[in-house]
Amino acid sequence: MSALGGAAAGGEGINPTASVIGIVILLVALGITFFIASTGGAVALIGIILGGALIGFGVHFVPVGGAPAAMGQAPGIATGVAMLAAGAGLAGLFGGAWAAELGFAVALGAGAVGGGLMMAITCMMVNVIYVFGMGIPSASGKVDKDPITGDTFPEYKSQGTEGHGLPFISYVGGVIGGTLGGLGGTLIYLELLAVYEAALPVIYNAPLEEILPVAVSLAGIFAVGMFLVNAVLTAYNITGTIEGPHDPKFKRFPRAIIAAAVASSVCGMLAIMVVAL
Amino acid sequence: MSVKVEVSEGGVPHDRIMAIGIVGSLVAIYLTYLNVLTGTQIFSFFGGIGAVFAIWWGTDSIKTLCSYGIGTGVPSAGMISLGSGVIAMLLATKLGVAAPIGLVIIAAVLGVILGFLSDKVLNMNIPVMIRQLTELTIVGALILLGFASMATGSFAFIDMITGTTTFFGIEIATYTYSLIGGSVIAVIFMLGGIAIQHPFNACLGPNESQDRTQMCAAECGFLSMIAVAVMSFAFLSVSAAILGLLVAFIGWIYTYNEYIKLSKRDAYDWLDAKPIREPKGGA
Repeated sequence: MSALGGAAAGGEGINPTASVIGIVILLVALGITFFIASTGGAVALIGIILGGALIGFGVHFVPVGGAPAAMGQAPGIATGVAMLAAGAGLAGLFGGAWAAELGFAVALGAGAVGGGLMMAITCMMVNVIYVFGMGIPSASGKVDKDPITGDTFPEYKSQGTEGHGLPFISYVGGVIGGTLGGLGGTLIYLELLAVYEAALPVIYNAPLEEILPVAVSLAGIFAVGMFLVNAVLTAYNITGTIEGPHDPKFKRFPRAIIAAAVASSVCGMLAIMVVAL
Repeated sequence: MSVKVEVSEGGVPHDRIMAIGIVGSLVAIYLTYLNVLTGTQIFSFFGGIGAVFAIWWGTDSIKTLCSYGIGTGVPSAGMISLGSGVIAMLLATKLGVAAPIGLVIIAAVLGVILGFLSDKVLNMNIPVMIRQLTELTIVGALILLGFASMATGSFAFIDMITGTTTFFGIEIATYTYSLIGGSVIAVIFMLGGIAIQHPFNACLGPNESQDRTQMCAAECGFLSMIAVAVMSFAFLSVSAAILGLLVAFIGWIYTYNEYIKLSKRDAYDWLDAKPIREPKGGA
C-alpha cells in the first residue's frame, strides 16, 4: 500500500549477483577498517555488523499496519515501519546507554528489555484502542488459526478487509522484534563507545572524564543514524505492511540481513574513521 | 516492478532544482568561513540558509523517489536521508576547509552503496532509486552541516566538540558545553528530519503542485532555522545569534505567507474562519 497508490515493488527471492557484490563491499570495508584502526577497530566493526543484522532481522517481527490499519482494514500497528522501528529501537538504545557503565552483558540486556518493553506497551495500548475505542476484534488475514493460541480468525474477519486488530501472534512478534532491535542498537552503541573512549583522550590529549560527553554523544548519534538506515532498508524489503512472524513476507528476511550487514559495515567504517584518520 | 505515478505536471525540472540546491547550499555554507577570515561570528546565519537550500532540494528528491510506490511512506525517505547524512557529515567535518566539498563526496559514496542495496539486493527495482538515495544522503549531510555551522559558527570538528563556560567569572574551555558534547547535534538531527519529511507528506495528492510543495519546504526549513538560531545563543555572541534569529524569522514569515497564498490559489474554496466571539457581558 503506497502513499500515492502505486503498486508496491519488491519481488521474492534473492538476487545472487547483487548479494555477492554486497558481501564484497562488506569485506572491503572490514579490510579498510583493519588497515586504519588495526584489530581493535575491525573487532568493533564486526560487532556493528552483527548489531545491524539483528536490527534488520528484528524489524521483520514487528506488526506494521500502516494507513490501512488506522482505518481498521488491515492488522498491525497503525504506522510505518520506520517510525515503529525507531520508537522501539531508540527506547532500547536509551536503556542500554543508561546501563553502559554496568558492564557489557548488563547493558545489552537492558537494551533488549527496553526495546521489548516499549513494543509490549505499544502493542497493548494499540489493542486497547482497537477493541474498546474502535470496536473491532483481532483477526489475521494471512492465517486461519493463531499459531500460538489456536484461536480461529475467519469468522471474525470483516468482509473486504485483510483482517484487523492485533492478534496474539502479532503481539508476540512485536515484543520479539523490539527485543532484537534494542539488542542490535545497543550493540552498535557499545562498540562505538569503546572505540571513542579509547581514541579520543589520545587524540585531544585530555583526561577521559572531560572528553567522555563527546564520546557518548558521538556514539549515540552514530548509533541512531545507523539504526535508522538499517530500519528503513528493512522497511524497503517489507514494502509497507507485515503482520508478524506468520506473514509470508517474513520469508524475505535473508535479503534484509545481507543489506543491513553491508550498510552497517560501510557506516561503521566511516564512524570509526572519525577517530582513526 | 513498479508503476510510476506522475505527481505534478510541468514545473521546474528536477535537475535544475538539484543544481540550484547543491550550489546554493555549498556557497552558503562556505560563506560561514568568513567568520574565520574576518574574526567575527556574524556570518554564522549563512549556515542556516545553506540548510534551507538543501531542504528545498531534498523535498523534490523525495517527491521524485516517492512518485514510485516504495510502500513505506514518505517519512522513511527522510529518516534514511538524515541517518546516513549524519555519518557522512561528522566524518567530513574532520577535513578542515575542504569539509563541505568532502561531505558531498563521502555522502555520495555512501548514498550510492545504500541505493544499490535497496535497488538490487532488496529487489526494489526502481529506476531512480540509486540516484535519489545518493541525493538524499548528500541532502541530509548538508542540512546537518548547515545547521551545525549556524549554531557554532564553524564547520570544523574541533569547534563542534569544544565550548566555553563561565566558572566564577572565568572563561574555561570545556568539552561538555559543546555542540556534540552537549548532544545539541541530536536536536539538529530531528529538526532537519522533520523539515525534510514533512513538505511532500503534507502536500502530496492529486492536486499537488510543485511551487506549493517547494514553498512548504522552504517554510519548514526556516522554521527549523528559528530553533537552531535559539540554540546558537549558547555558542555564539549575542549579536550574531540575534542576527540569525532575525533572518530566520523574516524568512519564515515571508515563506509562510507565500505558502498560504499558494494554498488559497490551489484550494477549491476558502473560508477565512474567525474565532468564535464571546458575547459581551458573558454568556
